[in-house]
Amino acid sequence: MYSYPKYGSKGTSSSSGSTGAQKSRERKVAPQVVVKTEDPGAPFRKASSYEMDYSNHYIHTGHYPTQVIRNVNFQTDGYPKLQKLKDLKEAQVERHATKPFGAKVQTDQMISVLNKWASQGLQFDVIMIGALVENQFIVEILNLLPLFKLCAKPGFVFIWATTANIKQLTTLLNGERWNKKFRRSEELVFVPVDDTSEYFKPGVNDGSHRGEGNGNNESLLGRKQWHCWMCITGTARRSTDTDLIHCNVDTDLQIEPQGGARVNHNDAVPETFYKVVENFSNSTRRLHIVPCHTGYKHPVRVRPGWVVMLPDVILDNFDIEAYEQELHSKSYVKFRNTSMNGHQKLVPQYLVAQTSEIETLRPKSPN
Amino acid sequence: MSIDDSLARFLALAQFFLKDKEALLEEPYRGNVGVIWALFANFCKEHGFSLIVVTGAASFVLLLEEFNDVSGTALILKTNESPEQTKIEWINVANIEILKNRLTSDSAFEESQVAVDCSSQSEVKPVFQSLFQILDGPLRTEIESSRKINGFDYDYSRLWDALTEPTAMVQLGKARAELTSTKKPYFEVCENKHHIHVITNTFFNSKTLGLSNEIPSNARVTKLLAAAQHMIDKEVLECIRTKIHFLPLITNYTDVNLGNCSYLDTCHKLKNCRYVHYFTMCPPLQPNTKETEKQVVAMEYTIGECHDSSTRKPLPPQWINCDVRNLPFSILGKFAAIISDPAWDIHMALPYGTCKDTELLSLPMQELQDEGIICLWVTGRSIEIGRKALGQWGYTVSDEVIWIKTNQLNRTIVTGRTGHWLNHSKEHLLVGVKGNPIWLNRKIDVDFIVSGTRETLRKPDELYEIVERIVGKHARKLEIFGRDNNIRPGWVSMYGTGRFCSFHLLQTIY
Ligand SMILES: [Zn+2]
Ligand SMILES: [Zn+2]
Repeated sequence: MYSYPKYGSKGTSSSSGSTGAQKSRERKVAPQVVVKTEDPGAPFRKASSYEMDYSNHYIHTGHYPTQVIRNVNFQTDGYPKLQKLKDLKEAQVERHATKPFGAKVQTDQMISVLNKWASQGLQFDVIMIGALVENQFIVEILNLLPLFKLCAKPGFVFIWATTANIKQLTTLLNGERWNKKFRRSEELVFVPVDDTSEYFKPGVNDGSHRGEGNGNNESLLGRKQWHCWMCITGTARRSTDTDLIHCNVDTDLQIEPQGGARVNHNDAVPETFYKVVENFSNSTRRLHIVPCHTGYKHPVRVRPGWVVMLPDVILDNFDIEAYEQELHSKSYVKFRNTSMNGHQKLVPQYLVAQTSEIETLRPKSPN
Repeated sequence: MSIDDSLARFLALAQFFLKDKEALLEEPYRGNVGVIWALFANFCKEHGFSLIVVTGAASFVLLLEEFNDVSGTALILKTNESPEQTKIEWINVANIEILKNRLTSDSAFEESQVAVDCSSQSEVKPVFQSLFQILDGPLRTEIESSRKINGFDYDYSRLWDALTEPTAMVQLGKARAELTSTKKPYFEVCENKHHIHVITNTFFNSKTLGLSNEIPSNARVTKLLAAAQHMIDKEVLECIRTKIHFLPLITNYTDVNLGNCSYLDTCHKLKNCRYVHYFTMCPPLQPNTKETEKQVVAMEYTIGECHDSSTRKPLPPQWINCDVRNLPFSILGKFAAIISDPAWDIHMALPYGTCKDTELLSLPMQELQDEGIICLWVTGRSIEIGRKALGQWGYTVSDEVIWIKTNQLNRTIVTGRTGHWLNHSKEHLLVGVKGNPIWLNRKIDVDFIVSGTRETLRKPDELYEIVERIVGKHARKLEIFGRDNNIRPGWVSMYGTGRFCSFHLLQTIY
């Protein structure tokens, strides 16, 4: 027992061995003081003698704590059913994917092109914005994008962000223009396993400097995260809208495999994130907008099932008519009854058809 | 150097243009032949080309045209009727360089021979190599400075390296953290399938363990290992002594084809769960692998730490168990760091009291800190409220730390419907800074923690030491909304929304 005087101890009383009756009396005359002689945390700490401290290991060896994670290269290790599900879904997604489309558009032209698309009635169910490269004009573009028109309801938007611009994006999402039409629903994160990663170069988005414009401070820790916000517009119910979405197939954390860009593709958006999106949304209309040059070191590859818009995409074949033809021939089209401004309307939905095997294997959501 | 007099004028011109290069195109010459001819005449005088006589712009233009013939049009000229008005628009320095080398080198003809041969295989390769080298290089234009000054002139890559180099404070802070922090035991996980095979064949199987589906005790496994020791070869035994092995528990209930249990060692239905569970066989803790306290007598680098940090003992744990909402915060003094793990009022039935968002926002947190950091655990839905709260209490968010949750087998949690839309393999911690604490030790750790899950809501202990490394070991540190298992030396803990009050505080406020 420590022999220091105590604070606020007007009625310093009783020992640790107070009886139940005493305790209930004390309750009424709170704040009464009970002096404990034992450290209540001791047994908890003792029990954890085998838990290793990988942050401590990092301090002493420089090895990232992520290096000890054993399923970095094969995420579903030990879960054959989940892997089977992912394989089956991948095959279905491929079967119903449009051919890859690219739209080579300069950053300053993007808004007008997208406005044109929106005015021609083009809509997407999934829109990804940005990539893991610096110098993006994400906030500027988002401020002007006709996103609400371009995005189907329900629709899903994935926005790439660094820790530095989270505050800006939060303001934007809750601001007048977006008017809370998009709700941030998940935050996906990408981290490296070692410091050879091309996505986490020193001096790039690493919080070494105060960004007054972003309202963020100089960081206290080494910044090793890319964030991808998943936002939802419209209503999607995870238990009943299973033709539209499959929940809980993937997780909100992706780790860059060992060796970084030297052994892996150094795409501006790692392939694993496209897969997360494809596994989650069963719709076939997918758009990826990258509002900056990414260079040949971090290329954005065109991908079956996606329309990719960026200034230096190699393929420039986008044409609304050709795209809609592709959609109709590849998708499983289903009409959905929705009421718009009081009028009942049949809206076509372009979907990836599902199989009964997928239906059995997929995680089910409660109502 | 001997050179035909007839060629001397070309050498003179080459040297002249190489001296100032593109500068001749800029102010005050602007490529104006009417000005440059005089410069050249002067140059010839100074550099011993006395035989060359240039008398005016007209003869200079003729000379330049001749020069263009031999140099492969190294100069782009904008001719004018009046030679005075003729302009040099571009100087191809590379061509002039080549010409100069030819004129001054004895082996000029051999070189040209090689140049012609470059179509042959052996010569093509280096070209490709050099092209690929260029492609692999940094995505920046590198300008070689002709000036031999050891500054940053034009050398952007050097400037970039200097800018991105960790500051001395970061480097010293890291080195100090390594020197002064205890090195905790660390064991690798054995990935050798053969070892697992040997172990399950010799002593860890349903024959030796029985068919009851329960995790055997460490003592029991140690005994079984001792009994089977003679059947296991040296290499495997050595590995058992140094690495962790995950041994599958296979009983008559288990269906191996189903794969691993999502909950593994936290499975509640272990008795009749048909998925595979594991026993973690750790190497025995030898006395020398125990935490070795480093004896550092003194440290010359004292920024961000107490001067007597190495000799000072941490304060014993202090705690207050009370309803945090009713406690006058002002009696606690000020803290350098606060960790807070509020029980967010999310719409879930949880077995403990939750705190309403408004109640949390109305806490007088500003009384606890003038300058320092706060770490606030948030869940998906409370991130926004957390940000708002930090702003309201006077903090700027500096970091978003994630805790990557791992399971018994050191894998991320990928199954089990842990999130609403996607599974959740991580939790978020907002870190905010208040005031201008220049004494913080920055960038010693990275912004993620990898640690196993424990009881529901229990957060990883790694955070305490990360915070200690940031604010200094002996700074005053507070945990608010802790649970009683969180109390620890050097920290003040406030926990409980409960009915019982208990108190243990030291009087001295450091
Ligand atoms: Zn082994
Ligand atoms: Zn189980």
